[in-house]
Amino acid sequence: MLNEIILHPGEHREIILLNEPDTNWHIIQEARSTLLLHVIALPHPNDEAQWHTSITVEHKATGCKTEMYGLALLHSQQQHHLTTRVLHNVGGGYSSQLFKFVLDDESKASFKGELKILPDAQQVEAYQTNRNILLSRQAEMTTEPQLEIYADDVKASHGATTGQLDDSALFYMQQRCISRETARKLLLYAFFEDVLRTLPNEQMQEDIVEKINEYIG
Amino acid sequence: MLEIKNLHATIAGKEILKGLNLTVNEGEVHAIMGPNGAGKSTLSNVLTGHPAYTVTAGEVFFRGKNLLTMSPEERAREGMFLSFQYPVEIPGVSMVNFMRTAVNEKRKHEGKPALSATDFLKLMREKKALVGMDNHLTKRSVNEGFSGGEKKRNEIFQMAMLEPCLSILDETDSGLDIDALRIVAEGVNALKTPHTASIVITHYQRLLDYIVPDFVHVLADGKIVRTGGKELALELEDKGYAFLNEQP
Ligand SMILES: Nc1ncnc2c1ncn2[C@@H]1O[C@H](COP(=O)(O)OP(=O)(O)OP(=O)(O)O)[C@@H](O)[C@H]1O
Ligand SMILES: [Mg+2]
Repeated sequence: MLNEIILHPGEHREIILLNEPDTNWHIIQEARSTLLLHVIALPHPNDEAQWHTSITVEHKATGCKTEMYGLALLHSQQQHHLTTRVLHNVGGGYSSQLFKFVLDDESKASFKGELKILPDAQQVEAYQTNRNILLSRQAEMTTEPQLEIYADDVKASHGATTGQLDDSALFYMQQRCISRETARKLLLYAFFEDVLRTLPNEQMQEDIVEKINEYIG
Repeated sequence: MLEIKNLHATIAGKEILKGLNLTVNEGEVHAIMGPNGAGKSTLSNVLTGHPAYTVTAGEVFFRGKNLLTMSPEERAREGMFLSFQYPVEIPGVSMVNFMRTAVNEKRKHEGKPALSATDFLKLMREKKALVGMDNHLTKRSVNEGFSGGEKKRNEIFQMAMLEPCLSILDETDSGLDIDALRIVAEGVNALKTPHTASIVITHYQRLLDYIVPDFVHVLADGKIVRTGGKELALELEDKGYAFLNEQP
C-alpha cells in the first residue's frame, strides 16, 4: 500500500506506525513543515509476522524538519525490514533518525537508510543512528547506511552498532539482589528510553513499556 | 557465617584458586592482601557467583547454606555484598530506580513489604549522609561518568542501603582521596554490628588503620599462604612479599 502525503507550508504532522504490515510512505514536505514519525514493532502473537516498511521523505522547500524514531522487539521467526530515504532537495532543512532494534530467537531485521543531500542544499543538518541488541545467537541484523552528500556546508553524521546486553551490567545488578529477568528489563527499558520519550502520547509510552515487560517477564 | 573449604576455581580453563580455605565468623573483619594476579578478585567473583568462573572442587557454606548452588541474586539477598574493584556503568538506568528495585527485592526475600516512595527517599537521604555521597550523583545513571573515587563511594552507599551481613570490599580504597577514604571507612564501621562480617581486600595498610582487621591473610597463587593479626599488614608494608619466594 502506498501512502502519499503532502505536508503544506508550516504544517505539523505526527504519524505512528505500530505493528503495521507492509507499508510504503512517500511524504513531501513543503516550507517549514515538520514531521514526527514513529515506526514501532512490538511482540506479537504471530510468530512469523513480517513487517516491511519503506518511508521516503522529501524536503521540497526550505526550513523543513523531520524527526523519525523507531523501536522494535522481535521474537520467534519474525522479520522487520525498514528502509528510509531522506532527500534534502533544498537547503536549510533538518532531519534526524534514531532506530533501535532488539532481536530475540531467530528473528531477523534490516535497516537501510539512504540520506541524500543535493548540491544546492546548503546548511542542512542530517543525522542517522541505528542501534541494535541481539538477545540470541540465531538472531540477525543487517544495517546499510547510504550517505550521499553533494553539498559542502552541511552537518551530517551516521552511526550504527549491533551488540548484546551487557553481561557485566547484568551481573552487577544481580549482585544487588535484582533477578536476572528484572535486570534484563531494566537494561532493555534503558535501551529504548530515548525513543520512548519522543512519543507524543504518554498513554502510548506506558502501553509500550507494558508490552515490553510482558514479553521479558 | 562463611566457611570456604579447599576451593578450586578456573576461568577460561585456567586454574586460579588452588585449594583455598577461609572461615569468617560473625563480628569479624578479615583483611586479604597479596600480589597482583594472586586471585583476590577471583575469590570475590566466585563467592558472588560470577558466571565466568567454574568451581572445580571444594565447598562453601554461607549462613549454613550451600553457597555454590545459589544464583548470584540469591546470594545477594541472603546478605552477601561485593564492593566491586571495578564498578560497572549502566547508562540509562537511574540510580534511584536501580536502588529502589534492589532494596525492594531484598525486602521481598525477607518477607517485608516494599518501601513506600516517601520511606525509600528518606532511606536514601539517610544513607547518602552516612557515606557523604553527593546529591547530584544519585540523580544520574548508575556509575555513568562517575570518577573513580565517586564510583567507590557509590559502592559503599549501596552497601549502606542494603545492609548486608557479609561485605566483601575489593580494593575499595584505591581511587579514594585521603578524606574520602576516612569517610568511607567510617561509613563501613558505622554499618558494623556483632552480626555482620567483612572481608577487606587491599594493597595498603592505610585502609586498615581505619577498618581494623581481626585477621590478615596473604593470598598468593590461589591459596592463603599466611595468616596473622593486624601487625602482619605492617610487616608486609615494610618487607613486601619477598618471603613468598624464600619458602619452598
Ligand atoms: N578471563 C580470563 N582469562 C584468563 N585469565 C584470567 C581471566 N580473568 C582473570 N584471569 C587471571 O586470573 C588471575 C587472578 O586475577 P585476579 O583478578 O583474581 O587477581 P587479584 O589478586 O585480584 O589482582 P589485583 O591485585 O591486581 O587486583 C590473573 O592472573 C588474571 O590474569
Ligand atoms: Mg583484584
